[in-house]
Amino acid sequence: MKLVRDVLDKELLDREEEPMGRVDGLLMHVGKNSQPRVTHIDIGGPVPWERVHPFFGRLSRRLAQLWGPKRREQVRIPWSRVETVGRDIKLDVEARETGAIDWEIWIARHIIEHIPGSGHEEAGDGH
Amino acid sequence: MLQITLGIITSVGGFLEIGSVTTAVQAGASFQYQLLWAILLGTICLIFLVEMSGRLAAVSKHTIVEATRERFGFPFFFIVLVGMVLVAFLVLVAELGGIGLSLQILTGIGFPWWAIPVSFIVWILMWKGTFSLIENGASLLGLVTLSFAVAAVKLHPEWGGVAHGMLPTFPGDQKAKYWFVAVSILGASISPYLMYFYSSGAIEDEWDESYIPINRFISTFGMSLGGFLSMAVLVVAALVFHPMGIDIQKFEQASLLLTTALPKWGFFLFAMSMLFACLGAALEISLAIAYFFAQGFGWNWSEDLNPARDARFCSTYTIIIMLAAVPLLFGVDPIRVTIMAMALTSATLPLAIVPFLFLMNDPIYLREHRNGWISNTVVAIIVLISFVLAVISIPLEIIGG
Amino acid sequence: MKRFLVISIALVAACKSPTPTEQMDSIQSWLAAAGMVGDAWLRHTTPDKYSRQTLDLTRETLLQLARDLLKAPPHSVDSVALRLVLTRSREHVARMARLIEEKNAPDFARQLDSLRADRRVIKLLFDSIESGQ
Repeated sequence: MKLVRDVLDKELLDREEEPMGRVDGLLMHVGKNSQPRVTHIDIGGPVPWERVHPFFGRLSRRLAQLWGPKRREQVRIPWSRVETVGRDIKLDVEARETGAIDWEIWIARHIIEHIPGSGHEEAGDGH
Repeated sequence: MLQITLGIITSVGGFLEIGSVTTAVQAGASFQYQLLWAILLGTICLIFLVEMSGRLAAVSKHTIVEATRERFGFPFFFIVLVGMVLVAFLVLVAELGGIGLSLQILTGIGFPWWAIPVSFIVWILMWKGTFSLIENGASLLGLVTLSFAVAAVKLHPEWGGVAHGMLPTFPGDQKAKYWFVAVSILGASISPYLMYFYSSGAIEDEWDESYIPINRFISTFGMSLGGFLSMAVLVVAALVFHPMGIDIQKFEQASLLLTTALPKWGFFLFAMSMLFACLGAALEISLAIAYFFAQGFGWNWSEDLNPARDARFCSTYTIIIMLAAVPLLFGVDPIRVTIMAMALTSATLPLAIVPFLFLMNDPIYLREHRNGWISNTVVAIIVLISFVLAVISIPLEIIGG
Repeated sequence: MKRFLVISIALVAACKSPTPTEQMDSIQSWLAAAGMVGDAWLRHTTPDKYSRQTLDLTRETLLQLARDLLKAPPHSVDSVALRLVLTRSREHVARMARLIEEKNAPDFARQLDSLRADRRVIKLLFDSIESGQ
């Protein structure tokens, strides 16, 4: 498997096949006497912005403190939760519990659901 | 059969909008048939690009945006995002302005007053509508633009001159203006937002490899009909405005386009054509921008979902539409914005097309359905021409006032 | 920053004003369009409000164009005659707009004819500029 080609920036789906963002970063363990291996997938936060330029990473952190779900920890999924790697990457997790869709839930709850016709009363998974 | 018909109608309805009409009218009024070749070139390029967009989606099950992010990584994707969204935003301002101007000539109420109601209508159609409703509804209404073709035939153009205009010629005078209008026509025809919208639509409609022949048919005939309508606009403008020495500067002047050929209904047909064409385009662009963000960042996205299910996607198009209304509220001339947006589109085409060509030649995405040398060559040459002309002519036009 | 300012100033300085030929072209274009609006209104192919508003817009634009042209009129033209015909054509356009409100087609048609006559005079003056160059 080629990490950059097959994993990085790929779409992530949870157990219910709901989108939960993209592989924005990979954490690897480089041991003294062992092969480097991927340990975690990073989703969202300042990670993708730091790839553009550290300035954007800092800006992203600052903006996230001012507004939104104000999550402190980086969303980090253990590699052991990866089920399949194909067109997208399927994870054995519930998106809601990982924090990966905190922004989606926050915007839905604080803005979208207050607008008539949003259909939130019909949404099966209920916010 | 129904799907093909609907697809062609979508292409026709989606082709004409304020950019293509404004540039075609200016070209016909100032240069008679001389710039028909620019519409032809733009249409050919668009046929290839739209076919490629559909093929990418059908084979790889990725939209262009998804594939761009995955293939080139976030930093490069971000650069494309900024460039494409900025230009698409300007075009959206122009389209909303086009709807406002159409309502202005019908009611006498100035277009700034229409900025908020028009934006609201565009937003509510996206909020409550499904992809099919938007795609097919707006396009069916857009068929009123066939009146341009009727007018062109009724005016009995000199067909030899029209045919001659399909070949590139060098201008006698007003050189800077000629090349600038040529660049604007190319920018109006080769709109990247159409590609992003089309590939997203193919995914929304769940296309697979069996749709490849249909896709080819739709893109060829649909875009050809759209290009033909643009040419009809130019021909009518050449016959109506050019002999009188009228250089079209304002929408109010352009509104007289159909009154000679169609005395009874021409004025209203023009207004309705522009209204529906710009409405369709505004919906497509708003969706295309929202798709760009949602697909690039991995959010839930679909026009068929209730907004509560794809909150970030819906917030994006809501914010975009609200922001696009602001310049119009302050009376910024939509025609000026249109001309600028079309020229900028040409100048930024390589940013959209170069990565796209890489994708279309990538066996991981397209397998045995990769581009042939003809597709690659045609697209590369036309985009190169557009870019070079844009880089030369935009400063010339600015300097020339 | 300094370099950017210098380049910007150079570009702005390079943005030349329209030539007298271009200004006259513009004036003729607007007058021709006003004539077209007038014809369309007489034939009942355009609504009253649109026709009146377009003529008002024409009058305002002609005022601005005339001001710019007469600041530095071309040498080979009779500037008094030019000023006169430009003022007169604006007055015709203004009267046409008022006559639309009064729905007075016969007087409107007369004003339209006068406007056409002004256009011919302006064309003659324009041709004299061209030949004088």
